[in-house]
Amino acid sequence: METITMTEERAEETNVSEETEIKVPRYSDSEKYVVFNTEFIPHIDSMYNFAFRLTNDEDDANDLVQDTYMKAFRFINSFQQGTNAKAWLFRILKNSFINDYRKKSKQPAKVDYQEVETTYNSESTDSETTTDLRTETVQDMIGDEVATALNSLPVDFRTVIILCDIEGFTYEEMAKILDIPIGTVRSRLHRARNLLKEKLRSYANTMGYKKAS
Amino acid sequence: MNVPKNTEPLKKHCENHEKCMQMIQAVLDGSATEQEIISFKANMGVCLPCIEGHDLQKSIKEALQQKIEKKCCPESTLSNIRQKLGIASALLVFAAVQITIFKVLLES
Repeated sequence: METITMTEERAEETNVSEETEIKVPRYSDSEKYVVFNTEFIPHIDSMYNFAFRLTNDEDDANDLVQDTYMKAFRFINSFQQGTNAKAWLFRILKNSFINDYRKKSKQPAKVDYQEVETTYNSESTDSETTTDLRTETVQDMIGDEVATALNSLPVDFRTVIILCDIEGFTYEEMAKILDIPIGTVRSRLHRARNLLKEKLRSYANTMGYKKAS
Repeated sequence: MNVPKNTEPLKKHCENHEKCMQMIQAVLDGSATEQEIISFKANMGVCLPCIEGHDLQKSIKEALQQKIEKKCCPESTLSNIRQKLGIASALLVFAAVQITIFKVLLES
């Protein structure tokens, strides 16, 4: 069975900042600070939440956000004012996480896509999951329970759900942030959601939420 | 979801539920194609598994959006960034001054 650490492979070839650095300066020194303050800083809470959800650690999230903003300033000439600053910053943060933070981990998160596909991509599994988990059960859950289920997903699946459901990015924006085709965004999101439903269902059963009648 | 009035009984089994769920998710995410939106509207009044799948997916999406705690970035993180940028620009100015002095010295 093939085990792939897809994001690490991609990260090697997708460092947005270094790839897209523009040789001719777009901004003067004073303009850089204006762009930084007006376009980048307003997204710092979203960036921190994304970093925290990726690392599950406040200190690592702080370091990751700081690294991201330092890189954003360093390569500010590759950012065009008025374009999607949030997606640009998220892409840098995602690459920094893969290149710098995941490598530091003693046990890098690996996603066995073959296993996931086999287990969660069959119609029977999907039907079983949806019949066992009720809409009312999800509505009754508290935030911590939903967050625990989300945090237990492999990072690649967690990432697409954060970007789509929490941050509200479109598939097109997600494709750019993650450097994958839109079709892959759709299929990964679908698998991630099946996994999340399974986690929520298990959690609901453990906690004694009422089963479907 | 409000199911449109239909004289036909609802389908109890969906032959293509995986594909339907991808379409339903795309609609909920606001990223569906025109064709998907048409199929969605046609399907949602007739297929029970799709209606239930839609409602469950919608509730999960809402739970993720509304129930998960959103943290504020600590002030200290922002201060550190500003401080580092200040130091970085000061170092750049210092380096530029040194190069200028060095050039002047070479020319003289």
